[in-house]
Amino acid sequence: MIEIRGVGKTYHTPTGPFQALRAVDLEVAKGEIFGIIGRSGAGKSTLLRMINLLERPTTGRVLVEGTDVTDLDGEPLRRLRQRVGIIFQHFNLLNSKTVQENVRLPLRVAGDLGRPDQDRRVAEMLDLVGIARHAQKYPPQLSGGERQRVGIARALANGPHILLCDEATSALDPETTQSILQLLLQINQRLALTIVLITHGMDVIRTVGDRVAILDHGSIVEAGNVVEVFLNPRTSVTRALLAESGIESDAAVTTDAGDGSQVLRLTYHGPLTEQPLLTIVSRESGLDFAILQASVGRLKNVPYGRLTIKTSPLDQDALQRLLQGLDSRGIRHEVLR
Amino acid sequence: MIDATLQAIRSFEYWPEIGEGTVDTLIMTALSLMFTVLIGLPIGVALFLTSWSQRSERPLVARIQGWTYNTLSLLVNVLRSLPFLILLILLIPATRWLVGTSLGVAGSIPPLVIAAAPFFARLVENLLREVDHGVFEACRALGATTRQTVLWALLPETLTGLLAAITVTAIALIGYSAMSGVIGGGGLGDLAVRYGYQRFNTPVMVTTVAILVVLVQTVQVLGDRLVARLSHRR
Repeated sequence: MIEIRGVGKTYHTPTGPFQALRAVDLEVAKGEIFGIIGRSGAGKSTLLRMINLLERPTTGRVLVEGTDVTDLDGEPLRRLRQRVGIIFQHFNLLNSKTVQENVRLPLRVAGDLGRPDQDRRVAEMLDLVGIARHAQKYPPQLSGGERQRVGIARALANGPHILLCDEATSALDPETTQSILQLLLQINQRLALTIVLITHGMDVIRTVGDRVAILDHGSIVEAGNVVEVFLNPRTSVTRALLAESGIESDAAVTTDAGDGSQVLRLTYHGPLTEQPLLTIVSRESGLDFAILQASVGRLKNVPYGRLTIKTSPLDQDALQRLLQGLDSRGIRHEVLR
Repeated sequence: MIDATLQAIRSFEYWPEIGEGTVDTLIMTALSLMFTVLIGLPIGVALFLTSWSQRSERPLVARIQGWTYNTLSLLVNVLRSLPFLILLILLIPATRWLVGTSLGVAGSIPPLVIAAAPFFARLVENLLREVDHGVFEACRALGATTRQTVLWALLPETLTGLLAAITVTAIALIGYSAMSGVIGGGGLGDLAVRYGYQRFNTPVMVTTVAILVVLVQTVQVLGDRLVARLSHRR
């Protein structure tokens, strides 16, 4: 659906060239929700804007729905942008126009529909995002969440196959964020829409993401399925981001108690989460466990568990048996101490 | 006392001329305001579209933009730096060629427009600069052309600011139009010069000044009301 091949971007600043992106490769499949996460200044926004060429890459190619769009200009570029919707952190609505007129704007720009068809389409969009009752209001009269819904309606008015979300929930409170994310999930399924979103909040990816790429200083340091990346982070950047959202933390690991006990981290997901794993393993191994830290929940629709446990004192043989037992059940483990 | 004052006002022999002068001033202001907006608005938009923030990523286009901006900006600055009285005199041949006379209401309009349009253009440029960058980005992302962006997004977004700028310009024009009386431009300024200055007729002078104050005040209040009404919905 979207292919980004070896894309780099260099800005010329008064203090010399600044490399915002370097040799980024990315592929987004049709119908998935792809998250790009990173701290501010990591280059996420630049990367996202490459997809509708609001930013042009210095090197590399961008392909959208199989077409190389990197060098598009003029009318073909405008046509591409009409096919790729985008929503913004600060909504970027026209405050001087009603909600209805804001949503009509892309239809007027495209110029494919007559007035009555535009009206129908606008009503349809407002219905989809649940703000039909605010059609005649002006954006400043709406709450942040409602304004973002207008933004979504505007982005979808021309029936794009791709929706780009630029920190779309970063200016919203947690509750509103959830409702907007649910809306994104809903339209993703209902319209088979491919969604690419950038965020600095892991929770956003966790709630809606199918796949994720972690961007740091202009490079992708890790990418893959959300479950895979979140439960088995390979880089310190990912770990640090996860620690901030409470999925991963080593804070519970205290210094060696000196009594021969071991501290392990167990990770599992899917159907395993429904089983009484700890009690089974405990019974089999004859060991007792103290739970030092636990995180159980869902990554989009995949349940997962992540436990940091301290065993009762044990020798090497007992440890090996315990680890084999975990392996045989498909529980991933790390010996922390 | 009151009767005496009323009597004095009634018997004031210059009323017909003052009435005529007021009408002339109104016509001059209205017509020159119309042309000022018609000419100044596109220049203001052009200044904005070629300014730094809007430069193209393509070097050639950016160079043309830079060249256009510098030329327009220079022109605007030159016209704005000339005192109006000097401009009036300088423009006499051009005015004659354009409207056939350099006197009266018609003769005043070209210099008024040429003085006010650059001023208004700068006001427009500054207003457009204030528009949230996000609005442009949204328009670009929707695939809008520059024309569509200007007409459907930028100008509506600055509508209240534009009305305020038109009000300011209208008031400046009332002032300028009075000044054109010095070279026979007609209107209240003409009266003030001929009677007040050349013949030491203080009552006429005071009356014209009072009417100018009322005109300016009225324009400002009307402008403010309109702005308030249109921003009410925010």
